[in-house]
Formats: sequence, structure tokens, C-alpha cells
Amino acid sequence: MLSRNWRHLCRRYSQAVTFRTNENSPAQQNDKQVGLFYTVNPDLCKQLFSHGGFPKSFMKQTKTFTETAIMVRQPALDLINCIRASDMDQPAIRYVLYGEKGTGKSLTLAHLLHYAHEDGFLIVHVPWVSEWLRRITRHKEMSNSQTREGLVDLPLDAAAWLIHFKSQNQKLLKSGNLKTNKEYVWSKREKTEVGSPLSDLVELGINRVKYACDVIDALVDEIKILSNNKQCKTFVAIDGFNSFFYPLTRLNTPTKRKVEPDEVTLTSSFMKITKNDWKNGVIVVTADELSVPEEHHESYLPRYLLYKKGFEHLDPFVPIQINRYSDKEFMTCVSYYRDRLWLRGPTEIEMELKFTSASNPYKFMEQCAPL
Amino acid sequence: MSIFIRNYKPGPLATLYKANIWRLNSTTAESSVKKDEDEEEFRVLDILKKRDKQQKRIVRRTDIQPDRADRMTENQNWGNVWPGPKTFHPSSVPLPLRQGYVPAGQAPPAKKANAELMKIPNFLHLTPPVIKSQCESLKQFCTEWPTLLNSEEAIEKHYPVEVITSDYCHASPSIRNPLARVVTLRIKLSTLDLDKHARDKFIRLVGDRYDSSTDLVTITADRCPMRAQNLDYVNYLLTACYHEAWNVEEWEKDKTEDDMEYYNWDNNASKKSVVNWYLAKRNEQRDLTEDEYRSYDISVIPNAEGYKSAVSSLMNDGESEETVNNYGKAVRKLLGLPEKMVV
Repeated sequence: MLSRNWRHLCRRYSQAVTFRTNENSPAQQNDKQVGLFYTVNPDLCKQLFSHGGFPKSFMKQTKTFTETAIMVRQPALDLINCIRASDMDQPAIRYVLYGEKGTGKSLTLAHLLHYAHEDGFLIVHVPWVSEWLRRITRHKEMSNSQTREGLVDLPLDAAAWLIHFKSQNQKLLKSGNLKTNKEYVWSKREKTEVGSPLSDLVELGINRVKYACDVIDALVDEIKILSNNKQCKTFVAIDGFNSFFYPLTRLNTPTKRKVEPDEVTLTSSFMKITKNDWKNGVIVVTADELSVPEEHHESYLPRYLLYKKGFEHLDPFVPIQINRYSDKEFMTCVSYYRDRLWLRGPTEIEMELKFTSASNPYKFMEQCAPL
Repeated sequence: MSIFIRNYKPGPLATLYKANIWRLNSTTAESSVKKDEDEEEFRVLDILKKRDKQQKRIVRRTDIQPDRADRMTENQNWGNVWPGPKTFHPSSVPLPLRQGYVPAGQAPPAKKANAELMKIPNFLHLTPPVIKSQCESLKQFCTEWPTLLNSEEAIEKHYPVEVITSDYCHASPSIRNPLARVVTLRIKLSTLDLDKHARDKFIRLVGDRYDSSTDLVTITADRCPMRAQNLDYVNYLLTACYHEAWNVEEWEKDKTEDDMEYYNWDNNASKKSVVNWYLAKRNEQRDLTEDEYRSYDISVIPNAEGYKSAVSSLMNDGESEETVNNYGKAVRKLLGLPEKMVV
């Protein structure tokens, strides 16, 4: 028993150099670390991703591996490089991550969120748009908007998102530097004064679920004004953004009418923040096949997934493709999985797995599971 | 006893033996017995008529001629052997043909009594020498080819309209075939005198009769009973479409960007957003009208020309990895971002 542990330890120690990097801060990573894994601090992980942000299968994996390790990949470094090189006084630049299913768009986004958090960005992160528009749970609540005629609210989802926003931006909200610039009257007794901290607005949305959608709308306006005034810099990350442009959602009004994405108040709020009419911000969205129904999985390219409307909304954007694993990335992933005992057996199976999974990260992980 | 009877065969030994028995038992004169014995054998009662049935078949050897295929000479005139289209006949074809289901370890069935060979159409009547000789004999009815029409281009230039009909010839009581009335007219669209608007309208009018890969318009008519009528009709259709294409109707002014046959960047939202972006970048607050957007000179925006061509190719040539990559490069240049990192 002791000797076995000893052997494991030895092996781990000997391999530690080859597939891990100690550079745990995304801001410091450079192309020397491409293909290597870095570990995210568990507390930070909880803060950033406890309300979503990682794909479900990856969440399971982190539990199995007892750590959150993300591979440093070229698209993320490229994007960080672009963010650094861009002039923040100019209109916000939109980046669209695209790629085949399972190549790691969401994980790249998570990596970028980590970077944004370290760099002191205010984070506006939507973990998965389809969660709002396409996933119908039993507790799904829908109501007609009080303030905007003909639109529908998703109050529970909006409140859940506000909690997510609050937990991601704890530090910035606590500091209290961010103040509202407008007065918002919610009802006869409830209103938000000019100059009240942003956290009050968020708290109000969480406590008074009825107003959550309107709070988000106000919050988006405030964030844009604050960013324009350089009181904060903002990082907008939306996963599965193309869901906003798919002609129909799965939602039904009480009269059994299908709801279009434009008729949801959340859509209009997040459309506002993805426009480039504000400064001091970075907008990263993903175009994902998985966020639309299966009959529209013909291509993974952004124009097809975003439709004409979405393309025109985002244009000009920087398309960033997430590829399958390169040879080097595949080999480090293999040694990482071996280290975590996720993959066992002779070395010949590596080549075989490379062919059967076609170097697709998700498929590779799936195929290693029974081994 | 019955076995004995069945197996009984009259033989010299048996007769002798029997004769002796009879001689011992007989009380009649010996001479008469001897006489009978020579004339007829012992008759056995054959109730089931077994003997008739078992009669051996006599093999008659008739004088069979060798196969005709084997007797053919190598220098015969094949056109005389097989003058016209005909079902396959094994004795007429001196070829070791085999066709059909192949049982394991065996060769495919040979040509004789082979239904498979008879089922398929054959072209044994169309061998190259036969065709050649037929063409030779047809030559006397032909006129000379015009010397100026010496190339495909020249033919296309002088005779842009191609009319395709089919004639049928058969040996049946009627010499008419209903398919002979079908007339197809083909013309290259580029040979018609059309401007940009008229060309677009013409293509929309003819619909799927226009093939963009070959630039050919194909009009087929079979609605009239006679060929001449159909020919008139296709000519009429072509003329009508041509003149209609040149007409500009009042409602055509309502054409929107969605109805466009190609993507014109200057009229699209993409240009608008770039102009807006440029104005915002320079902190200019201006509200432009649609026409101002359209006529905005993009040459003042650095790198906008490359962006324009990238978006146009993405929209017009269809989305592919290459066009998206080009688009990305153009956008990075436009926004002043570093090139894509290569690791």
C-alpha cells in the first residue's frame, strides 16, 4: 500500500514538469505555456463559477479530479493579447468565439473570465443563454412585463443571474465606488436614488424578484455609463449568444403563443450591452451549435449560427476559432489524464484514442472515461 | 418362388436342367417336348407389366451440325451477321461471353441458355466498322459544312439559339411517336442583350430554367400536339421573357435589401455599423440619413476597403473557414488589433 502510494507520488513528481505550469495567473501566461494545464484557486472558482460558467461535464470532472485545471490554449492567449493591445477609449470591441462542438469554447471563456477577474474588470457574464430561452424547467416563471408593453419577463432567471453577477463582482461592489447616475422608481414606496451604490440596485433585484428584469435593464444602462465615465472597465461574456437570434424560443405565453427571443426583456438588455456604442469594455460572446435545436447544426461558422440579424448586430467583430487539440496539446492532455488516473493502460492506446476521438477535447474525455 | 420368377432368365443351362426334370416326370412323347422348347421360352405371368417398363431406351445418334459460332471465319463481315438491334443469341456471337450469378468456386454461366445475357440491351449492331460504313453511305445525302463555322466559338456566335428535337423511327403500324413533338430551346444568357436590371429580372422570370454554372437557359415545350406548334411556343416564350425583362414596373421600386440578388456592402447594415463605429471613435456626434450612409466615402477610414471586400466575399461566396478567416484578418486591421497569434 505504502509502496503503491510512493510510486504514484514519484510518477506525479516526475511528470509534473511536463504538463503543468505553475503560472496560475492568466495575465502572466505567454506562448511558452501553451498546451499546459494551470490550476484555478478553489475559492476563486467558487466565486466565479459557482452559479454556472463551466459545462456540466467539466464540473463533474473537476469533482473527480479534485481540482480545476484549465489548459492554456492559443485562442485565449490571442484574445488576451488583443485586449491588451486595444485602446480602451475606443468603442468596445466584440469578439466571437466559434468552433466545432466540444472544442472548448466555454472553457476558453472561463479562462478569459479568470483573466478579467484578475485584471479588475467588472464582469457581466451570462453562463448559458439557452438556460433562459430554451430550457423549460418546472419552476420556470414567466410574466408579462409591467414596464414594457408586449414583452415577457423571466423574473426567477433574472434574479438568479443577479445573484451570479453579485458573487462574481463581490470585490468591486463592496468597494462602493460604483454609484447610480439616474433615479429609478419601482413603485410608490420603492425607488433607487441617484448616487446609491450599484450593490443596492442588485440587492433590490434579488429581494424583489418582480422587478429583477427591470433591474437588469437599469444595471446594463448604469454599467455602460460607468464604463464610459471610466469608473470601471467591463468585461461582457455571453455563452451561447446565438440563442438570442434563433427565430423562436421554447417559451409559450399563457395563450400558447410561441415567444420570439426579441419579446423577452432579458434579450433587449443584453442586446444593449453587446452594442459598441460604449467604451472601456470588452465583449466576448460564443456562437455555439449546442444552443440551437439539432436541425440547425449544419455548420459551426458564426454567420450561419448568428443569422443575418445577429451578424449585423455584432459586425464588425473579431472571429476567433477554437480548434481541436493540436498534437502537443493532445499529449499534455494524455499525461494529465494519466496523472489523474482518468486514463490507464498501455501507451499504444493513446494513438488509437487520438484517431477515434479525432483530437476533439470533449470526445477524448468521454472516451477515456471507461478506460 | 416369386423371386425365382422375377430373376428367371431363360438360358441354355436352365433349359437343359428343366428339360431333364420334365423328361423324368413326363409321360408324353419326348419329340413333341423338344419341338416346343425351341420355339418359345417359358412365359412368365407379368401382372405388373414390369418388363415393358424396364425396357432400355435406345440412344439415337443423330447427325448434329457444329455450332454456327464455331464455324464463323475471322474475316467475315460482322455487319451482315448482326445487322440490327436484336436480343442476344449465343450461336450468332463467336465470343466466349459469361454472365450471371457466380456459385462459389465456379465460373459464371456460359453464354448458352443464359437469360442474363438476353435481358441486357446489347450494341452488337453498332461496331465501329459498321458505323463507319453507314456514315459513308449517308454522306451522299449531306451538304458541305460551311467553312467559316470552323470552331465552336464561331458556331456559338452565329447560331446562339440551339433547338433540340428527337425523331423516332420504328417498325409498327404507326410511324408517329408522341415524343417527337417535344422541343427544347437552349441559349446562352450572355448572348442576349440585357443590362444589369434586365438580366436579374430575366433570371427571376425563367426561374430554375437558368443554370448559373453553364450560363444556359433551357426552355422545353411539350404542351402542343405538333412539333411546329411547340417550336413556335418556345420562340414566343423566349421573346416574351426578353421583352418583359426590359420593362421596369412601378412595384419594382419597392425592392428591399432582402430581395437583392447579391450582397452590396454599400447598401447594407455592415457599412452603417462601420461608419457609426468610425464616428464614435472620433467622438463625432452625427445622425446620418440612409442616403448619407450609402454615399459615405469609406476611403477616409483606414483599412476599410479590405474590410468591405472581406464582408462582401463572406456574403456573396458563402461562409467557409477561409472567408471567415479573411474577415477576421480584415477586422483586426480595421480595429487596429495585432495579427492572430501563431504558436
